[in-house]
Amino acid sequence: MSFLKTKARSFFSKRTAAILSLMIFGVAVASSAFRESDQAMMREITFEKENKDSVESVKAFMDVYTVLMSPRCMNCHPAGDVPLQGDDSHLHAMGPKRGRDGKGVYAMKCTNCHQPTNTPGLHTPPGNPNWHLPPADMKMVFQGKTPHELAKQLVDKNQNGHKDTKQLLEHAHDSLVLAGWNPGEGRTLPPMSHKDFVKAWTTWIKKGAYAPAPTTN
Amino acid sequence: MDNTSLSRRNFLKVSGITGTFLSLGFYLPTNAEKGKIINAADAEKYGVEMNAWIHIDQSGKVTIFDHRAEMGQGSYQAVPQIIAEELEINLNEVNVVFAQGDNKKYGSQITGGSSTVRGSYKNLLNLSATAREMLVQAAANKWVVDKAECYAEGGKVFHKPSGKQMHYGELVDAASKLEAPKNVVLKKRADYKLIGKPLKRLDTPFKTNGTAVFGLDKMIPGMLYAAVERNPRLRGKVKSYDDSAALKVPGVKQVLKVKMGVFSTYREGVAVVASSTWAAIQGKKALKVEWDDSGFEHLNTEDIYKRQAEALQTQEGLPFKKQGDPDGIISKASKKIDVTYETPYQYHACMEPLNCVAHFQGDRLQIWGPIQAPEWVQDFISKEMGLEREKVEVNMTFLGGGFGRKAFMDYPHEASEISKAINAPVQVVWTREDDATQGPYRPGITYRCEGVINNGAIEAFKVKLAGQNNSHWRGGKKDVPNGSASEGFLKPYTDSIKNLAIMDVPFETPIPTMWWRSVYASTNGFAYESFLDELAVEAGKDPLAFRREYLKDERLHKLIDKMEEVSGWKNRKKGEGYGVAITECFASTVGQVVKISKVAGGGVKIDQVWAVMDCGWYVNPDTVRAQVEGSIVMGLGAATTHQVTFKDGMAVDRNFSTYKMPRINEIPPIEIHIMENDENAGGVGEPGLPAFAPALTNAIFDLTGKRIRKLPFSLGSV
Amino acid sequence: MAKIKLNINNKDFVLDADPQMPLLWAIRDLAGLKGTKYGCGVAQCGACVVHLNGEAVRSCVTKISRAEGQKVVTIEGLSQDNNHPVQKAWQEVDVPQCGYCHSGQIMSAAVLLREKPEPTDQDIDDAMAGNICRCGTYLRIRKAIHLASELQKTARKG
Repeated sequence: MSFLKTKARSFFSKRTAAILSLMIFGVAVASSAFRESDQAMMREITFEKENKDSVESVKAFMDVYTVLMSPRCMNCHPAGDVPLQGDDSHLHAMGPKRGRDGKGVYAMKCTNCHQPTNTPGLHTPPGNPNWHLPPADMKMVFQGKTPHELAKQLVDKNQNGHKDTKQLLEHAHDSLVLAGWNPGEGRTLPPMSHKDFVKAWTTWIKKGAYAPAPTTN
Repeated sequence: MDNTSLSRRNFLKVSGITGTFLSLGFYLPTNAEKGKIINAADAEKYGVEMNAWIHIDQSGKVTIFDHRAEMGQGSYQAVPQIIAEELEINLNEVNVVFAQGDNKKYGSQITGGSSTVRGSYKNLLNLSATAREMLVQAAANKWVVDKAECYAEGGKVFHKPSGKQMHYGELVDAASKLEAPKNVVLKKRADYKLIGKPLKRLDTPFKTNGTAVFGLDKMIPGMLYAAVERNPRLRGKVKSYDDSAALKVPGVKQVLKVKMGVFSTYREGVAVVASSTWAAIQGKKALKVEWDDSGFEHLNTEDIYKRQAEALQTQEGLPFKKQGDPDGIISKASKKIDVTYETPYQYHACMEPLNCVAHFQGDRLQIWGPIQAPEWVQDFISKEMGLEREKVEVNMTFLGGGFGRKAFMDYPHEASEISKAINAPVQVVWTREDDATQGPYRPGITYRCEGVINNGAIEAFKVKLAGQNNSHWRGGKKDVPNGSASEGFLKPYTDSIKNLAIMDVPFETPIPTMWWRSVYASTNGFAYESFLDELAVEAGKDPLAFRREYLKDERLHKLIDKMEEVSGWKNRKKGEGYGVAITECFASTVGQVVKISKVAGGGVKIDQVWAVMDCGWYVNPDTVRAQVEGSIVMGLGAATTHQVTFKDGMAVDRNFSTYKMPRINEIPPIEIHIMENDENAGGVGEPGLPAFAPALTNAIFDLTGKRIRKLPFSLGSV
Repeated sequence: MAKIKLNINNKDFVLDADPQMPLLWAIRDLAGLKGTKYGCGVAQCGACVVHLNGEAVRSCVTKISRAEGQKVVTIEGLSQDNNHPVQKAWQEVDVPQCGYCHSGQIMSAAVLLREKPEPTDQDIDDAMAGNICRCGTYLRIRKAIHLASELQKTARKG
């Protein structure tokens, strides 16, 4: 696990600069994520003719990406079947498993500990009435994903929980997404306010949901 | 089932015993070394109030008093199993109750030093054989036959020639009038029907349906609950407090300043008394307390180890054992090993946090709780609170773990002070955070180990250690070395290594320290047995064969034979990840072999642990195995995750979220073997712990060439 | 304070409690059922596990209001006579040492066996890693769960 963690961290520290430079100087190679996904999806975004400025879209996504890769979002979108915990995104101490529906297994279901609201105190279970991981058949992994990969995944109906554009836009207001900004005592907030996140998210999608270019290394 | 102890009067009431009964106890006159077995009828003669270990009533019902705490180690099983053997009764027909604290009646009751069985089994065997003989004599008298023609079995006495039989219950009247015989003949080991058999524990059924009463489960009429905010710096006083918010919490009744004795110091706190535990805890959270932390240093963990390292470089220390000329050899040697080992402070982390019920009633005090040392509590509190010793009644409940922490008087003392102040019965509940941050802890120790190998043999061996001495807290002399400086290290080594020094470099901090399962052996074992491994490597010898060379003792050689046999030691290839360690404490020796392998992606995992326990005479092999299993799991936590970290004089980790316990998915297969012999009984609850860490780190060296010299370390980052 | 109705072990209780009070303390101090244990208070150790509508919730972080009108089963109500297959297996294997954590262990294991009658070692890890045992009885817990699975199977056939 520490391996993955290190990878994610070094990604931020070393690669961000490279990605940003690619983004600014390499707009030509930035491809629309939608364009690479299935045709049905493409048809659904035709209403966004007014602006398909790929530079703005990609720029907005990089903001979105910092939020999605923050512990508050990524911890429940792990690469494995065990959620992550804490600001250092370590494996959840009791090793609860995703289960088929994402709600845990046997005596280790999410809501056995995670209550409808945050439990007061440090290192206590954060709460939400609908606390869960993505289900086994739609894992929506964030952990370890490059901006390119994550952007493409987010708009791929086969990987995003069958969300169309409208649903994607609405998802920014989902109560579980919002829980990231009410994480309980001692946990850092995502790197921007929810308002700014919604703005970036909307801009990214409405400007064409472009994915940053795949990095060369 | 409420297993809290009962006074004899209560016992009689509860059991409905009226009329006559046979009641035998073991009485240790203060001026005699050897105890006497007495019949209840003679109790007055000796001027003691009988609170016997064995009661048999007229219905034949047998009640046995367990004089020791049951904290998981199995005294609740072992004591009756011993008694039933010589008393010739069926174990499942026995009632067991915990005795009250009173060393005049039971001798030492401190459940520590793995001493329940080894400290009392001979007395218990004698006591029960005496009772049996009295019952047989009573029957022989009734039948007017020769006693030699009679025998006891299954709670009855039989007359062999005629086939006549009588139930014990029918005989107690007559037996109780007999003088207890002296020098009864005990059974031979080969004739045991119960001892040595893996019989089921008597307390298990209460522990599977929630009826076992632990300290926290004790309720008495009118009882209130209290939670206490104590000085987070382990020492010091309350400067001031604001209870206005606490008093607004629904259910909170009263807030008061309270003290408790911690060794010779007092720790102050602010107690919130309420109608429920929850209200008390909420009230405690709402308190605002200002502390007076003056008069002692506020240390960080780094300070402690830096100072230990410095002390080891600059001071020689007090000689615990010194023979030959190790210093001369080391100073002249062209090549020597000079390495430093380091162990952390440890927290007991009993699953049941500390708690205690106290009911102060003027000149009298009743206490119920998870208590390892009832007579110490009785002594300490009677002095502190100016009560007659006999008026302090200390009742042991089941203990949800003890590991040494509950052999202490602070928490019962604090509960008693609160009860006195509020004039009501009260249960003081320590939150997990209180329990984790308040100590006392096992001290962390740094060891400087120097050695010289010449021609494949140890020419000089020197260990200097710097760490807190627990005995200093209890008034121990400071100009003598720690008496436990080599605890855990096998004594025969010191016989066969000619040039040897074990030096204790005095080291103090304001952090209160105390015993923790296997005490100094738990930390010494790692340093000594790792260092021996380093010497074996330097000597170019097989680590187990090297140990055998120096352990010139037949019993230990048999243990090593067994270790080799069960682990396939001789068939292993070097570098396959096998490590070995042997330690001794509380009169038992345990050898462990650990096998590890590399994990793809980094780190190592434990494939198998083999443990061989030599505890001499034992009662229940299944209990022995359980204790060794548990010791290894506790040792695993201590080696790979656990350390109490101090920052600005406060313990940092407050709960299991950061003080992570080993969990079921992290436990390797463990195979346990018990040596069969007729040696005196040794301890069982603790000796399985110390050998684990060095066996593991020695295996890591074997596999990777990396020597782990500091605990804890992470298996994932080896 | 409010009057809160709880059904514990098929018995109705009306408890006068702060709705924020964790179910654990309501069960222990107000209903007087002491089999459910306090270990950490923050859902780390599992000593407080009870069944809420059949799920192994941690009562130390579950507010009493969440359980209002719902079915709560504690260790005292798991079986009539200490004879749930898990309890029987625990006795047969002599799992407990100090015993303090085992109310929670047993309640967790009971949910595992209901949902996965023949659990693998991996299933046992997945279900039981939330329950801490300081005495280190884990190997016996594993053994007893496998035995309980056998006992359950036999009982169903019988």
